[in-house]
Amino acid sequence: MAQAGKGRLNFRCPQCFMRDIDMDMFYDKDKKEYYCIRCQYHGDEKDVLEKNEQIRLKYRAMYHRFKDFEDFSDDLS
Amino acid sequence: MTVCRNKEAVKHMSDFIVNIIHRPEMVPEYAEKVTGHGKEEDLGREGLLTESLDIFKIQQECAHKNGLKTTIQMTYASLFNEEAVALAKEHHEKYGDEIGLTLLGLPCEQFREKYKTKDFCIWMFSMEDKKAIVNDVFEKFHECFGFYPESTGSYYLDAALINYIKEKYPSVKCAVATCWEEGPKAYHTCNNSWYTLMDGGPWAPWIPSKQNTHAPAANREEDSGIVAIPHLSRDLLACYDGNGSNFGTHPQNVLRGMIYNSKTWEYPYLYNLIDQYRYLEKFNNGYAYNMMFVGPGWMNKMGRWEAPYELLLKSYEDGCAYYGQLKKEGKLLDMTMSEFADYYRAKKHYEEPECALWRDILYGSDKQLFWYCDPYMRACVNMDEGGAIVDLRPYVSKLDDPMGIGTKHVQDVSYPFLIQEKYRAGYFTHYAGEGTVRSAKICYQGEEADLCLCRTKAHFREENGVRSLTLDPAEIEFRNLKCTVQTVISFKEGDSSIRIDRKLLSCTDPDAEITVDEYMVGCYGTTEYPEDMTSLTLSLDEESLAYEYKCRELHKENADRAECVLPPVKTRVILECEASRKEGYVKEGYAFSPMFTLGYKAVLKAGEGVTTWLRLEKAD
Repeated sequence: MAQAGKGRLNFRCPQCFMRDIDMDMFYDKDKKEYYCIRCQYHGDEKDVLEKNEQIRLKYRAMYHRFKDFEDFSDDLS
Repeated sequence: MTVCRNKEAVKHMSDFIVNIIHRPEMVPEYAEKVTGHGKEEDLGREGLLTESLDIFKIQQECAHKNGLKTTIQMTYASLFNEEAVALAKEHHEKYGDEIGLTLLGLPCEQFREKYKTKDFCIWMFSMEDKKAIVNDVFEKFHECFGFYPESTGSYYLDAALINYIKEKYPSVKCAVATCWEEGPKAYHTCNNSWYTLMDGGPWAPWIPSKQNTHAPAANREEDSGIVAIPHLSRDLLACYDGNGSNFGTHPQNVLRGMIYNSKTWEYPYLYNLIDQYRYLEKFNNGYAYNMMFVGPGWMNKMGRWEAPYELLLKSYEDGCAYYGQLKKEGKLLDMTMSEFADYYRAKKHYEEPECALWRDILYGSDKQLFWYCDPYMRACVNMDEGGAIVDLRPYVSKLDDPMGIGTKHVQDVSYPFLIQEKYRAGYFTHYAGEGTVRSAKICYQGEEADLCLCRTKAHFREENGVRSLTLDPAEIEFRNLKCTVQTVISFKEGDSSIRIDRKLLSCTDPDAEITVDEYMVGCYGTTEYPEDMTSLTLSLDEESLAYEYKCRELHKENADRAECVLPPVKTRVILECEASRKEGYVKEGYAFSPMFTLGYKAVLKAGEGVTTWLRLEKAD
């Protein structure tokens, strides 16, 4: 196969992101997938986007708009 | 200038100030790497230069259309570009923007040719090169504009460099001088390839001392002559725990952290972050500050990671629009950097601390931290661990180590810690040993409970130069007894100590004798890895122990003070205690637990209390 390159967008490895590492992925045209050279993650764009949504699960208050910074009565779960 | 009000007036106003800074970086960080993938490096590529200037123009437009003035920090490369120079002059005239000079953005053909290096971080150069580059860049600036700048900066400026700049170019009064908690965590995030190791500094503007940039000046003699501002305003909880580059007043950093709705492209977190900074005026005599500084590489037409250009642009427009809206509502003052330096000097005095009671606004955990910074220390109190001190930097020692090539600090310019719960375990350790923390154990008939396991909340108060936190009482349950313990943590201005009052508020058996074990586990360092402890000396009154990893202890009834001297960080840390029945102790660590412990055990009955002082001194 020819050398890998960057894809349409420059996706990071979702598995590495989950452990706080920003790793650019490369695109394998033959297999039509992104892959990480640091860990063993590989997947197509759909899979990357699904994993990126899972990353967001840790941000449980990311859609909450805070009005008071010493009032802890809001349910943020 | 509109902001330089008289000193008394400034002191009593409630202000939220923003500095918006743009740099025409002709070869933006990232851009050559991203857009040039698969091509040989070419810093003079026409497309790169044109796009870079276009991004700068868009950023300026975003600010101006929202009624915000900016500080234009010219880069070395941009001083060779006539259009960039002309734009800066035009915007200075038209919008009141300040024309400053950054020491970021050095890479360009002219720089490479002259200095024969690919280095670009000014603090990493040898002192000789630092001086040559500063002279070169400042004179080139003068050639372009006919005056010397009043503001400068980089991700970090070491003290010797600041002193040189101030001596040679006294017009400089403001500088971007560190990036908060950008250290080992940022290094790891970048797969160990981003060498900005600069933990341990202030998160909000300060006056750097002549000895060490991170340590604020305590008086006029120590004053470096500039007001320093941090590179961005960072989330004081998320950045402490994780990658700093995801959680700051840099809209594209919020995208980097994927903290947005991928369908609607909304990011309430950015506004929460700005609003929580606004809230900090409550703890700082009616003053709060934000800084937004986005390099053009972050608005690359090729997109940045998974964020397309349209989202990058939208986030920057939204960020400026929010600041603009606050300004229209009379809730924000936009200033240039030099204007801010004047404001800051009128508003604050040397020993006045910066305080921040900060809550989690991202993970939904309700965690609350308190950050304290003055010329003698930086400390973090964690309310989720019963008010334990989980980070402590002894600014009192004003470490004056030289930095850059040719010194022992080529990359690592972090200010050392005595306590750092993320790098040195904190309360929880695996299998054996102890981690660094300042807490207390409540003990009764063979059972003990550490306050680190009591989640609570704090209430801030300022009175007669003392900032104090009163914590909601902790409830302790033993097999045959329940009690409540109140903690009050106080920082007295100019005192270089932390006072902790613990009171046994109630007890199900009023005659029960409870032991409160006040302790500090410490070490020193700037990274996760242990340092050589053999130069440390532990003392309990007159008796002392030279550290040899032998797990030894000293105990003494009614001891006056327990202390440890740490020559590598020129610091003496002392624990003193006031209680009717007390025993002091010190503990040496061992190889698997390279720490030291200072402590006091006080015996209390319901209604009684114990007071301790953790004092920091410079030890030469």
